[in-house]
Amino acid sequence: MASNGRKADTVTLTIDGREVAVPRGTSLLQAAAALGIEVPHYCYHPGLSAPAQCRICLVEVEGAPKLQPSCVTIAQDGQTVHTDSELARGMRQGVLEFYLVNHPLDCPICDMSGECSLQDYVFAEGRERGRAQEPKRVFGRDDFGGDVLYYGDRCVMCTRCVRFMDEVARDSRLTVVERGDRAVIDTFFDSGLDGASFAGNVVDICPVGALVSKDFLHKARAWDLDHAPSVCPNCSQGCNIELHTRDNLVQRLKPRENPEVNGHWMCDYGRSRYEWMNRTGRIERPAMGRGEERSEADWPGTLEALAARLAGNEGEIAIVASPFCSVEALGALSQLAKEAGEAAAAVFRSPRAGDEDPLPGFPLLVRRRDLAPNVDGARLLGYARTGTDDGSGGLDEVAAHRGVVFVLGDDLNDQPDDFGAAADLFVYLGTFDSPAARNADFVLPVTTFAEEEGTFVNAQRRVQRFGQGLRAPGSARPAWLVLGALLAFLKSGKTPANAAEAFAALADEIPALSGMSHESIGPGGVRLEAAHA
Amino acid sequence: MAISVKVMRRPEPGRTSYMRATLKGLSLTFKHLLKVDKVTLQYPEDQPELHPRWRGTHRMEVHADGRPKCVACGLCPTVCPANCIRLVGGEDDQGNRYPIVYEIDEFRCIFCGMCQEVCPVEAIHVGRHFENAEYTRDRFVYDLDRLMEQDHPTTLLWDPSDSRSE
Repeated sequence: MASNGRKADTVTLTIDGREVAVPRGTSLLQAAAALGIEVPHYCYHPGLSAPAQCRICLVEVEGAPKLQPSCVTIAQDGQTVHTDSELARGMRQGVLEFYLVNHPLDCPICDMSGECSLQDYVFAEGRERGRAQEPKRVFGRDDFGGDVLYYGDRCVMCTRCVRFMDEVARDSRLTVVERGDRAVIDTFFDSGLDGASFAGNVVDICPVGALVSKDFLHKARAWDLDHAPSVCPNCSQGCNIELHTRDNLVQRLKPRENPEVNGHWMCDYGRSRYEWMNRTGRIERPAMGRGEERSEADWPGTLEALAARLAGNEGEIAIVASPFCSVEALGALSQLAKEAGEAAAAVFRSPRAGDEDPLPGFPLLVRRRDLAPNVDGARLLGYARTGTDDGSGGLDEVAAHRGVVFVLGDDLNDQPDDFGAAADLFVYLGTFDSPAARNADFVLPVTTFAEEEGTFVNAQRRVQRFGQGLRAPGSARPAWLVLGALLAFLKSGKTPANAAEAFAALADEIPALSGMSHESIGPGGVRLEAAHA
Repeated sequence: MAISVKVMRRPEPGRTSYMRATLKGLSLTFKHLLKVDKVTLQYPEDQPELHPRWRGTHRMEVHADGRPKCVACGLCPTVCPANCIRLVGGEDDQGNRYPIVYEIDEFRCIFCGMCQEVCPVEAIHVGRHFENAEYTRDRFVYDLDRLMEQDHPTTLLWDPSDSRSE
């Protein structure tokens, strides 16, 4: 206790024989988590209210007449708590036995198998054999609309999904109907979750396999998936996500917790758009020459030839870059242009949605109008927006440019046949084979964001790192590496060995990024202003 | 210790006969001609009797309507130490989870039988069977249809009357 009569803002208690000091108001469950002790829980979720109805987080508190639900019991000074006493363990075993009375135990065909709390807890502490004699009740499955399927038999009635729709999405579409063992989650109307733009999160927060994604249904087992930390590329909010990959294909996107960007959530728009990362028809080898003269070449030969052309360049340089490219790539391209000649134009095109789509219960998370991840990064590095809101047009000047034309990542799908035909030198750094590359003197295969490391700047002007989830096809290389190698030729400097070095080289040149590094950005990202404060 | 030389006394060449020893050896040889317990098996006319726990090429059990029993749970490719099973799951027209692709590379397989042991629906089995010769190597990747067609007896990995080995 503080001597001035006010209560100290931390409390010290003992959990399982170990002392821990936590802020006043912390629940026992969170206090235990601070010690690395996981108290089993279903209905509690850090992003939702805690109704204390699942009864699996009960712990023994010395002096209390009976076991206390740790998710809502606030830690008190001097408390002694046992999460693993005989009483607490026996209670958990009993609660788990009740859960299994009607649970179908269809783990072999359940998509949640491998990441299911019920499976984990029963395996750790449950009874070896159930004692229930009566037949299990059977509901079958229900299509909730949107991307969500509901298997009532597997449900543990934690009501996380109901509370998510009520409290976070503020769009009450789910409820519990019936009582006792006939209770199921259901939708109010036939439309179900159709049109709800954040409903996919109920699949993530379901602790068992009751709510599963239709898109992911039976596609892969949880333990087969590799997880790569990344940033959602589908709007400029830049939700922190994980790419779940298998067989070098992205299988699904899952939100990664970041309290300052997306909390525990992400929108269905972002979640459902990952197929393009798996698209085939990629450019796999560097090539030189226009039209008939086009021939594939190796990287060193191509880069040397291109560097020689750039070194002797006298024309002005026009750049079209895609806001799907990393800060490292966009920065290296503008550095290269600065080194090789006078800049004529540096533009990007990005599709824009008609409106924003906020998540009412978590105001920081908004599906932004810009449907590309690095619009703010491109602006920061001196690129100007052009074209219309569907991401087309606006390139007439560049198409007829007579000097040097660089195109990075933009597919140019709407552009005429003679795009770049008038240019002295047309360099196309792209991912997908595109008709727009036909006039290019150099076609250089680069990777998508899923195949490289790098950073994006989101709409909050937050620099965020993403990791590599896929192997690049053929001899495609990250754009920062290709451009960094060219820059090294021109300045007789060093080619960056990795994205962190490419970023460091950029941070020396760009005032807004000065003092930042991949290490200082960390897994959660840093706001540009905060980095300089 | 002093070194000593032992001198062997052998009969001089031409002064002894080996006939007695030769006849003794031949009599043993001819005794085997008359013995009844032969070891040589007249394969392929005579087939060997395989042990109940012999582990040979795989077999997929089928339901009465011809569907495979496999539910594509993914446990056999997970447990397989040789990584020889490829499985892609999906949903059939009745809403059941089933294997769209199920392939076993019998060349890679080490016939440990763990796939059979781990299978929760007793679909995949190793078999009491050894005649797997083929003319081409690619025929050793058994697909789902081939695994379902195999009709040899399956292995008993454990005593059926004591399935928990108690």
